Amino acid sequence: MKILVPVKRVADPDNANKMKVTADGSAVTSEGLAWKVNPFDEYAVEAALRLNEKGGSGDVLGETVVISLGDDEVIQTLRQPLAMGVDRAILVKASDGEIDSTVVAKALAAVVEKEQPDLVLMGKQAVDGDSNTAGQMLAEHLGWPMATFAMSIEVADDGKALVVGREVDTGVLTLKVTLPAVVTVDLRIVAPAAVKNGVTPDDHAYNEGARYASLKGIMKAKKKPVDQTSLSDLGVEASPLVEYTKYELPPARSGSATFVESVDELVEKLRTEAKVL
Amino acid sequence: MTADERSFMKSIFHGVIEESLIFPYPEMDPEERETVQMILENIQRFGESEVDAAKIDREHKIPDDLLTKMKEMGLFGLTIPEEHGGLGLSASAYARVIQEMAAIDASLAVTIGAHQSIGLKGILLHGTDEQKKQFLPDLATGERVAAFALTEPGTGSDAAAITTRAELTDDGQHYILNGSKIWITNGGFADVFTVFARTSAPDSGVKPRITALIVERGEGLTNGPSEEKMGIRGSSTTEIFFDDVKVPVENVLGEPGRGFKVAMSVLNSGRLGLASGALGAIKRLIQMSTERVNERKAFGRPIGEFGMIKEKIARMSAEAYALESMTYLTTGLIDAGVEDYSLESAICKVYGSETLWYVVNETLQIAAGIGYMSEYPYERLMRDARINMIFEGTNEILRAFIALAGMQSPGKHLAEVAKAMREPIKGFGLLREFAVQKARGLVLRERLERVHPVLSREAVIFEEGSVLLAQRVEQTLRKHGREIAEMQFVQKRIAEASIDLYALAAVLSRTTRALERKGEAGAQREVHLATAFSTLAKARIDDRLVNFERDSDELLKEVAAQTYADGGYAFDIV
Ligand SMILES: Cc1cc2nc3c(=O)[nH]c(=O)nc-3n(C[C@H](O)[C@H](O)[C@H](O)COP(=O)(O)OP(=O)(O)OC[C@H]3O[C@@H](n4cnc5c(N)ncnc54)[C@H](O)[C@@H]3O)c2cc1C
Repeated sequence: MKILVPVKRVADPDNANKMKVTADGSAVTSEGLAWKVNPFDEYAVEAALRLNEKGGSGDVLGETVVISLGDDEVIQTLRQPLAMGVDRAILVKASDGEIDSTVVAKALAAVVEKEQPDLVLMGKQAVDGDSNTAGQMLAEHLGWPMATFAMSIEVADDGKALVVGREVDTGVLTLKVTLPAVVTVDLRIVAPAAVKNGVTPDDHAYNEGARYASLKGIMKAKKKPVDQTSLSDLGVEASPLVEYTKYELPPARSGSATFVESVDELVEKLRTEAKVL
Repeated sequence: MTADERSFMKSIFHGVIEESLIFPYPEMDPEERETVQMILENIQRFGESEVDAAKIDREHKIPDDLLTKMKEMGLFGLTIPEEHGGLGLSASAYARVIQEMAAIDASLAVTIGAHQSIGLKGILLHGTDEQKKQFLPDLATGERVAAFALTEPGTGSDAAAITTRAELTDDGQHYILNGSKIWITNGGFADVFTVFARTSAPDSGVKPRITALIVERGEGLTNGPSEEKMGIRGSSTTEIFFDDVKVPVENVLGEPGRGFKVAMSVLNSGRLGLASGALGAIKRLIQMSTERVNERKAFGRPIGEFGMIKEKIARMSAEAYALESMTYLTTGLIDAGVEDYSLESAICKVYGSETLWYVVNETLQIAAGIGYMSEYPYERLMRDARINMIFEGTNEILRAFIALAGMQSPGKHLAEVAKAMREPIKGFGLLREFAVQKARGLVLRERLERVHPVLSREAVIFEEGSVLLAQRVEQTLRKHGREIAEMQFVQKRIAEASIDLYALAAVLSRTTRALERKGEAGAQREVHLATAFSTLAKARIDDRLVNFERDSDELLKEVAAQTYADGGYAFDIV
């Protein structure tokens, strides 16, 4: 099936301590930050690749396309999914100030109209803004069925539907969506047996997590096409609804730990010093 | 002299600072940098998801499926040009990848290093188009693995004394190879060997003719069992036997009889992979150390608060900065087309392997009790680190090489130096020429014009050190002439001063670039490291060169002679 995977460039969460805000709190400075594909989006890429391949055979069952919004620098971030095996990329040129989830959802909807994928597979949220809204809005714009927080996906009905396991507080909620559909994924979608496309043998051993790219894949990715378009080309107005009024860094962690000898001492300290009991 | 023939360090021995060779500090072009960054990220992921270094050590083997995955990953074709199916990485990019692999596991790094840094390097450097077409594509995918076979049971350091024979058949179409090689990395599974064999009669005296051959595994070629080793236990080390192995003459690498040069040129570049591998291990160890000093408490404080711990961490960082600076300066020289980097790469190998040994020792010391327990990785990392001072030229041999090659006229290579070491009197005529040339005048202090003013004090340390080196060299040659070939106490001091001088030059160049890019405030940390390293280096250079002529040399020789005579240490207190 043809799968479209929206991905967002985020500051490397492993280097979050480098994050700074301007003195007046009006903006986040991006200086010195390393950029990565949003982890949840990378899980979506992994899931899409698993859906569209026959195990480790090299046989490809459908086209996988990634799309992102941002400036030219984002192209470099798009090379990672391309190196992992995605066929091509689309960049919708836009600056950070022009976009919020609502604009993203509209732009994605416009691209979906053009590309006609069978499935839009995306991360449940980006780890920078943690909004968790773009997928839901996109499904609404398209009028497509939607399943969020997918922890497992299984192709059903000869490829006309997906059975999606959704991770919810009380357990796993399983539902079936008819394609085309929007599915957002959670962390567990990259467990070794989380994705079943009906073609890959059940005993095929996937690693936990998103795959690493081979060095050949990285070289090939340099030559894979990245189509560029813009919000105006797509007929989308750059009018974000969300306004960010102020940024603040979290208070520095004190990082002190006290070691205790016994449970009694612990209870005592929790009562008298921490005053939480 | 064209740019390509110059050598920064050889010029230093002559009191000349070829500044344009090392300024500006080299860097990868932006596109390659992006590619390398991606490669490194994916290698880290590969390491995290596929590699169990403790298990490799325990089982003395890289699991077969891991080896297959490394091949699929593309790790066997890093340096092979794209037209032959590889990735065509530059020397700098290759070294950086080896660095990353060494941080994951030394056995893995040694395996792919032996394949590419030395095993197939001869084909890359000296192979004909036909040889490249025939061998490189399979080597690039890892379908076939390469090894480098020089060392023999009877001879290691003295490589010119090998006895493996290659006899030309009567029809002149083949060599028949007989003999054996020992401790060959990848020997258990390699398919393509770069073999060095004697193609002149063993007793013909004057000029041993050694020929480099590409030998494929096949009839008559067998290997011994995997050797049990102290470290890098996953890497395959075996003996290789040749029993009437038929090698077509088309498989000669370079010219017949010129194999020693092939061996030396291969090892010259191979040593840089070793240096960058050492750096990879060092960076990982410093990370382990810094984690430990924050976690572990003694006397109510994290041990990181104690001065003696801080001194270790600071020195490790400063020396790592120097190693990184010199290694990537040297690979940058190669990428810029400089042909003679033999001295520089030998310096990187000696300094890299010994800095790693220092860092692994201090890291284990900081970890203390747990450092000694096999449950933790420290002792394994120490065992893995030890080999680097032994293979690809022992550090003693390389010290002698650095001193002697530096003292020769420019353009002379290791082959001649080795000859001089074998036949000190006959082989060292060249030295005289240089001594005479130097005797003409005092060495003047040359200036490093392009160093950033913030580093002017450090630049003076380098300038004064290099003048002193050139003066000592001149003085030694004038006084002792060709006898220097036998004066290893002096060679050692000269070599060690050169190592620190090269490190300083690299640090100055790199830190200047950082200052130019980021300004004084932005490059403050680099400046601190540069200054810290300069202080360490100055003390060592002064120790080697200020008090240069030492009566104690003779005394120490005498003590050694007596100990030999006694068959060991002869004293006791009872
Ligand atoms: C794990 C491992 C892997 C190896 N892999 C390979 C490989 O892939 N291919 C290959 O060809 N070889 C390989 N070797 C061999 C290695 O390169 C040799 O061990 C090394 O060159 C030293 O030779 P040797 O052990 O015979 O020591 P020797 O040459 O016997 O030296 C013994 C000692 O004397 C010193 N010494 C010797 N000559 C002098 C001198 N002139 N002046 C001062 N001191 C001197 C040495 O520094 C050393 O301390 C490997 C070795 C090991 C241990």
